[in-house]
Amino acid sequence: MTRSFTSAATFDDALSAMAHGARPVAGGTDLVVGARQGKAPLPDAIVAIDRIGGLRAIEASEDGVRLGTLVTHADIISSEHIRTGYTALADASAIVGSHATRAQGTIGGNVMNASPAMDTGGPLLCFGATATLRSPSGERSVALDELWTGPGTTSARPDELLLALDVPTPAAGSGSCYVRLEYRRQMEIAVVGATAVVTVEGGRVTDARVAITALTPTIRRVPESEAALAGSDGDDAAVEAAAAAAAGASTPISDVRGSADYRRAMAAVMTRRAIIAALKRARGGSVPIPASPALYGAS
Amino acid sequence: MATVETAPVGFVRQDGKEKVTGTGRYTADLSFTGMAHAKFRYADHSHAKILRIDTSKAKALPGVVAVLTQHDLPDVRYGGFVQDRYLFANDVVRFEGEIVAGVAALTEEIAAEAAQLIEVEYEPLPVVSDFVAAMEPGASLVHPDLGAYGKDENIVAAGNTMAYHTIVKGEADAAMAGADVVVRSHYVSDASQGVPIEPRAVVAHWQGDKVTVWSSTQVPYVARAGVAQTLQIPEANVRVVVPLLGGGFGAKCDLHFEGQVAAIARAANRPVRLVLSREEEFKIIAQRREGIDMEFETGVTRDGHLVARRAKLVLDKGAYCGEGGFLGQMAAMHACGPYQIDHISVEAYLNYTNNQPSGSVRAPTAPQVCWGLEQHMDEVAAAIGMDPVDLRRRTLIEEGAEGPTRQVFDKVGVRDTLEQAIEMIGYARELPDDEAIGVAVGWWPCMPAPSGAYIQMNGDGSATIVTGAQENGSGAVMAMPIFVGQELGVDPNDVSVVYQDTDVAPWDMGSCGSQTTFNSGRAILAAAKEVREQLLDAAAEQLEVDREDLELRDGAARVKGSPDRSMAIADLVGEIGTVHGKGSGEVPEAPTGDTGGCVGRLGNETFLAPQLITQAAHVKVDRATGVVRVLKVAAAHDSGRILNRAGADGQVLGGVVMGVGLALSEGTILDEEGRQRNPHLLDYKLLTCSDAPEIEVAWIEYDSVGPRGAKGVGEPPQVPTAGAIANAISKVIGRHVQRLPMTPERVWAAAREVPG
Amino acid sequence: MKVAAALRVNGTEYPVELDPHVSLLDAVRDELGLTGSKEGCDDSECGACMMLLDGEPVNSCSYLALQAEGREVTTVEGLSGDDEVGPLQRAFLQQAGVQCGFCTPGMLVSATALLRQSPDPTEEEIRLALSGNLCRCTGYRGIVRAVRQVASGEVPPLRTAPAHADEMPPHHAG
Repeated sequence: MTRSFTSAATFDDALSAMAHGARPVAGGTDLVVGARQGKAPLPDAIVAIDRIGGLRAIEASEDGVRLGTLVTHADIISSEHIRTGYTALADASAIVGSHATRAQGTIGGNVMNASPAMDTGGPLLCFGATATLRSPSGERSVALDELWTGPGTTSARPDELLLALDVPTPAAGSGSCYVRLEYRRQMEIAVVGATAVVTVEGGRVTDARVAITALTPTIRRVPESEAALAGSDGDDAAVEAAAAAAAGASTPISDVRGSADYRRAMAAVMTRRAIIAALKRARGGSVPIPASPALYGAS
Repeated sequence: MATVETAPVGFVRQDGKEKVTGTGRYTADLSFTGMAHAKFRYADHSHAKILRIDTSKAKALPGVVAVLTQHDLPDVRYGGFVQDRYLFANDVVRFEGEIVAGVAALTEEIAAEAAQLIEVEYEPLPVVSDFVAAMEPGASLVHPDLGAYGKDENIVAAGNTMAYHTIVKGEADAAMAGADVVVRSHYVSDASQGVPIEPRAVVAHWQGDKVTVWSSTQVPYVARAGVAQTLQIPEANVRVVVPLLGGGFGAKCDLHFEGQVAAIARAANRPVRLVLSREEEFKIIAQRREGIDMEFETGVTRDGHLVARRAKLVLDKGAYCGEGGFLGQMAAMHACGPYQIDHISVEAYLNYTNNQPSGSVRAPTAPQVCWGLEQHMDEVAAAIGMDPVDLRRRTLIEEGAEGPTRQVFDKVGVRDTLEQAIEMIGYARELPDDEAIGVAVGWWPCMPAPSGAYIQMNGDGSATIVTGAQENGSGAVMAMPIFVGQELGVDPNDVSVVYQDTDVAPWDMGSCGSQTTFNSGRAILAAAKEVREQLLDAAAEQLEVDREDLELRDGAARVKGSPDRSMAIADLVGEIGTVHGKGSGEVPEAPTGDTGGCVGRLGNETFLAPQLITQAAHVKVDRATGVVRVLKVAAAHDSGRILNRAGADGQVLGGVVMGVGLALSEGTILDEEGRQRNPHLLDYKLLTCSDAPEIEVAWIEYDSVGPRGAKGVGEPPQVPTAGAIANAISKVIGRHVQRLPMTPERVWAAAREVPG
Repeated sequence: MKVAAALRVNGTEYPVELDPHVSLLDAVRDELGLTGSKEGCDDSECGACMMLLDGEPVNSCSYLALQAEGREVTTVEGLSGDDEVGPLQRAFLQQAGVQCGFCTPGMLVSATALLRQSPDPTEEEIRLALSGNLCRCTGYRGIVRAVRQVASGEVPPLRTAPAHADEMPPHHAG
């Protein structure tokens, strides 16, 4: 097949090209890198979606925030609304790759790439984000745990393109945090990551959401960790139980980045740190964004 | 004694402007009309016999202009100490990056496709990847015909051991038995890589019988000799030119693909360019840091006198010798270290395996062995209840002391480096319990070698240096105008350098062995002195004064104390007609010792003008994860007289950061078949800008045997960094980490083994 | 099949015909002959290929050239401005931020992006912003100092040769 390239001016243009077999590319950071690494060749037909207007907006409403599919990590980090209301997401976007990755990489590309190591995945999952997919036959909303079906695979049909992510407003008194294990301070990929979103009312944790990253085939929440926290006052025992449950829920692989044993142990450490920072934020304390390097005490 | 840091001087390196504006050309930037692109076909097995190669489909692919195998080339093996390798695999492939065939085509894409169309039929052979198990009886042999290969007469080889070495002083066994305390340690270092940011590239272009090869090599004259030997043509018919070189760190030493590309270009009858991808740069070059298995045993008195040292080192040579035949002997010297030890018995085995060949990478073998030995020394100190710095104060070499082979040292500043480093780091101060300071000491020899240079004065009073020296980026060659300017009273910005072109300058060893200032600098200064003499002679005659009353300054010869009485150098050159000098200087000789009991003497059994280093590292360890942050490194070096402070500092700053990477994150991970599992920069982690520690540099300066009292500078900075970090980590976690690199997982696992 | 396009690089518009799979880096190097941007890796890890795309940094090795059509591309060759050698570039040389030079083009581009966004960055901000650019020679200090120098004031002209030998580095032996 001969190679083709089109740049879509509208969403419908993009859908039309996809209906003819083209694959969408936005920032290109995952697709092109993957091809250069020999993971998968570049598709013959490519439709660039980065010129489509209106997809790079962060729109806040009472119900929540809508992230257009072309919103970049840099956009997320610089949004005061996200930093205060969805801090874990800002934690995550702030440590993706390098400054160039953050400038070019889009949240839509990130989510649809469905990597179990994606930094933004845990926060989006814990905040209850839904993905709006549009195809020539219409629009549908899918929860992220239904969207991600395995490493690099989604339940989206080939003719569907991600329009936006809708993230509901967290309850009052919520705090959140995403941390990951980092060998270096930048240019890392998550070997182990953890997200915590907690709501604190009158000293008690009324709601808790915990997700683990790079520890299971898809990023997932850990109900046992959440149950351990909910109803507690965020004491050490509850945090420890939640951390241990996260390790227990992990089914990590052994590879060049770490053994399964190490990853499982780090699942507990990262979960503990994410919860402690989220609790601190929920109680009005200050933890810098991104939380990850700060928690290691790096200057 | 220690100099203080100064800002770089107002001198712009000659290659600076082109490097910051993007106009400078590196090898991969060169392009010629009609140029074809080369790709290699690599082995499909780590060890296999080639039964059949069929290139017909590749040759038939439109756009292909040449396909080559060893059958098209002279039957010549090459290699530095053991001639064990063909340009293309002849009958056996011995590691995953072995080149089976080469292709040239009109585009890279076609060349890549053609390389895959070559059909190769193999008979797989047993793979030897474990370099210690390679010595076991019955191990499959990587080179069954080793006995028949051409080799250096001092190589002692048997089985898979390509080279065996001993260092013997006194009676170590008896002395060990009589020691108060004996400490034994076992350390293992993984293989690692040089990783210059520029991947290798080679362009070859034939004109009649003569080939010009542009190559990203640190050693153009070695490359020239290698092309001539493997293609069986005179060296005079091979010209190797190095465009700008994007770093080397040893990884670009030795003959690397110049022979193959020249052969392909000849077959294609057009210029051919090869550019390696990063993955190829990891897998196929024959220069990586070797894995080493180290056993140390030291007998010591309770008051810290080193009675005896035994050590057994096993090194992973990989599949071929290359220039790395000396690695075992070098490692053996580093297992002794710059210490006074009464009795020594060290053995080193350099073993063939079906892994990537190892070779010189910045201070080859020294950082790994120093990392092991310096942890061992801290263990010795702990065993006798002595502070590790105190133990070193009592045992480091000094003027008049005897080395491991009874060489007697001249003035050396190693004890000064120790005191300076611990002062800069604040050794004794209180720290939080997750932080600690570790100290390590290392050494590295100067490499004496011939070199030659010309200097010509131009009509306007400017000067041109012609040297065979190679500029790898360090600035060692780019600093030569400073020295020549000083000799001739000429603004160094008016002194240009013609360099790294084998057709225009005399032989030079290349940018390896920290030798550019030491040897090339000596030659250039000797040439400058010839020019200086000519200018002063002419000025004395013209100005009618005694020569002794003249000085060369500010572009003129002038009478000391009477600046009015002077003559411009430009005018002097006009009077004389032509002014040029040549020089090579006298090559310092390696010291003699008592090396009679040593096996495998390849020239490193004594250390000429050793460079001595103490580094102290302040680290912070996250015990829960094993993640280590290096907060500061204090580096005190005796490199003799420092001729170019900014350049020398740059070597320490870069070397220490490379050393931190070696310590914590840089390790090549192999599978059981010797294949690399992390041949890319995401999982072979170099330090980023935000990981680099604060580094404080000091120089201890005593006169030495190099030009103007200098020694070498470039390799030592990396020698003790990992050892210093290791000793700091062990103070925090209560246990030594026995495997390099000390990754978070390894630190975490070691911390968990501490009882209680 | 090649696609006709126009790339605007360093203020100049270039008509080109590009394969849809060609990266921005290859297009700029091979089609336009601007070889200042380098290829050092396969996977956006080294930063030697860094360019600006409408002012934002991009790893051009991992960006499709055709996506850059209609955008302003800036490479190291476009950083000097009206000077022969721009202030940031001079500072890199004066602070010993250049050794082998292979990372330098990408470093300069990343530093330019940073200084446009944050004209007076702290050392920590500089270090984080340059972390996508690997350097193996310098240990990064000269590079960080160069960016600080540009942020904090004047960068002298490039050629500041010593007036006479006394201002040169120490010369120990006769």
